[in-house]
Amino acid sequence: MDAIYTKNLTKEYDGFKAVDNLNLKVEEGQIYGFLGPNGAGKTTTMLMLLGILKPTQGEIRIMGESLSKNPLSIKKKIGVVSEKQYLYREMTAQEYLNFFADLYKVKNKKNRIEQLLAAVDLLDVRNRKLGAFSRGMQQKLGFARALLHEPELLLLDEPVSGLDPTGIKQVRDLIEKENKKGKTVFISSHLLSEVEKLCNKVAIINKGKLLAEETMENLRKKLTEFTQLEVELVEINKDILDALSSFEFIKEIHQEKNFLILKITTDKDHRAEISAAIAEKGGVVLGIKIREMSLEEAFITITQKNISLLASNKEATQ
Amino acid sequence: MNEKGISLSAHTMKVLIKRELISSIYGWGLYIAVFISFLLSSFILRNFMRGIGQNNIFISSYPLNLPLFISVVIISLYLVIVSAISISREKEHGTLEVLFYGPVSSSSFLLGKYITDMLLYVIILGFFAVYFLGVSLLTNLGFTLALGKAFLVSIFLASCMISFGLFISSLTGRVRSSIVWLIGILLAFLGIWFLENIFIHIPPESLSSWLLYIQKTLSVIYHFVNWVSPFSYLSRGMESIRIGSIKPFLLNIIYSTIYTVVLLLLSIYILKSKGVRA
Repeated sequence: MDAIYTKNLTKEYDGFKAVDNLNLKVEEGQIYGFLGPNGAGKTTTMLMLLGILKPTQGEIRIMGESLSKNPLSIKKKIGVVSEKQYLYREMTAQEYLNFFADLYKVKNKKNRIEQLLAAVDLLDVRNRKLGAFSRGMQQKLGFARALLHEPELLLLDEPVSGLDPTGIKQVRDLIEKENKKGKTVFISSHLLSEVEKLCNKVAIINKGKLLAEETMENLRKKLTEFTQLEVELVEINKDILDALSSFEFIKEIHQEKNFLILKITTDKDHRAEISAAIAEKGGVVLGIKIREMSLEEAFITITQKNISLLASNKEATQ
Repeated sequence: MNEKGISLSAHTMKVLIKRELISSIYGWGLYIAVFISFLLSSFILRNFMRGIGQNNIFISSYPLNLPLFISVVIISLYLVIVSAISISREKEHGTLEVLFYGPVSSSSFLLGKYITDMLLYVIILGFFAVYFLGVSLLTNLGFTLALGKAFLVSIFLASCMISFGLFISSLTGRVRSSIVWLIGILLAFLGIWFLENIFIHIPPESLSSWLLYIQKTLSVIYHFVNWVSPFSYLSRGMESIRIGSIKPFLLNIIYSTIYTVVLLLLSIYILKSKGVRA
C-alpha cells in the first residue's frame, strides 16, 4: 500500500497551474524528499494532501484511502509540521499539547506529552507561555504536536527551518526514530543537505510539474554530470597544464598552490590517465582526491539548463 | 457523514468548546460587558424608581423589561463582536490552519464557535436572573411572566447575533476587516431605520417625485433589513411580549431559528470555499 498516491493532481488559480498533473507515489516506511525552488508548487501540494486546498482535478489517496471520501479519519493518521508554527500565544506548552491531545483523543496523554517534551528538550519550559518561545522552540513544539497521536504519516514542511545545530540534530534524530518505527515521512525542504541526509527517495518539482522522482543515488548521478578531482603535485609546470588541457574529459583546470582542481566528466574513472599524463611531463603526483559533491552543491549548480535537462529526460522516458 | 464521522465531529466540537469557554471565562471581556449592562440597567431603574417616588404612579406594566432590553442589547453587541472576530482572528494568526491539519472540519469548527458563544450567553443570563431577582426583591417590582418571556426571547436574539457575527467573520480574513464590516453593516442598518422613520412621517403628497421614489425605495430596503438585521428579531420579540399575544411570540422564535440556521449554513459554506488562510 502506498502512503501517498496522487494521480493527475492539479491546482489551478485563474488559469495559472500551480500544480500540474502531479503523480506521486510514496511507499510506506519511506523518507521521501520533495524538492523544488520557491513557487514550484510544493506548499500547494502539501495543502492539497492535507485536504486544506481542494484540487482542481485529480485524485489523492492517503494510506490507501481516498482523501475526498474520508478526510477526517485520514487526517487523524497524519502528523504535520509546517514551516511556520502558528501557536496560541496565551497558552503554555503543556496546555497547548494537552489541547491537541484531547483533539486527537490521545491515550495516556500525560506520559505521552512528557515523553515528547523531553525528546525535543522542552520539558523545563513546559509551563512557559508560548508567546515567549523562540522560533526554534516553537518549531520543536510543533514537532511534539505532530507526533502526539502517533501518526502513520508525517508531512514536514521545512522541518528544521529556524533551528540551531543542536535543534537540527534533535529533529533529525526524531525523524529517523519515527521512521524506524515504521512511519512514512514526507519532507518538503529547500535545505537539500537535510533531504540528502534523511531521504531514501526524492521528487523534484518545478512550475507545478514533477521533473524527477529518483532514489537519492540516481538523482545525484543525474545532477552531477561533472565531478571534481583534487590533484596534489610536488610541483606544477606549464607542460603539465598543457597536457591536461588536451584531454576532452577535462572541462576546467584551476591551480591552487601545488593543487590542481580539475572539473571532469563522470562517464568513467579518469584518474589513471591523468596520473600518467602528469608523470610523462615530469610531474610527481602526491595524491588524487575525488571531491564528492553534496546534493546541495549539485543543486546549486542546477541552473535552468539542468532543470530543462531533467525535464527532457523525463519526457524521453515517458 | 457516517456514524464514526459524526462521533469524531462531536468530540472535536466538545474539545473546541471547552478551550474557548475556558478562555472566555478567564478573560475580562465578558465581565466588562456584564458590568456595563448592569450599570445602564441600574441607571434606568433608579430613574424609574425616582419617577414612582415623585409622581406616585406606575408608568409601565412591565417595569423590568426595559432594563432587561438594554442589558440584552449591550450583551448582544459584545457577543456579535466576539463572534465576528472569532474566525478571522484564528485565520489571521494561522491557528485555524493548524486545527484543520487535524480532525477538524468547517462545520465542527463553526458549530463549536456557535455553541461556545451560546453557552456564554446562558452564563450571562444566569447573571441577569440573579440581578433582576435581586432588583425585584429590593424594589417590589414584579419578576413577571413577561420578564420570563423576555429572557426566552433574548436567547433567540443572542442566537441571531452570534450567527450574524460568525457569518461576517467567515467572509473576512483579518480581525480589522471583520470589525470594519460589522460596524459598517450595523451603521447601515441603523441609518436605514433612521431615514425610514423620518420619511414615514412625511405625507406622500408633500414630497416631490424623486423624494417619493426615495421613500418607496427606502421602504423596500427597510423591509429587507427587518429580516436581515439581527436586532429586528429582538424588537419584534419584545413587541410580541408587550401586546401579550402568543402567536407573534412563537412566530418570532421560529423566524429567529430559521435566521440562525441559514446564516450558520452560509458561514460553513463560505469557510469551506474560501479556505482557512487569511
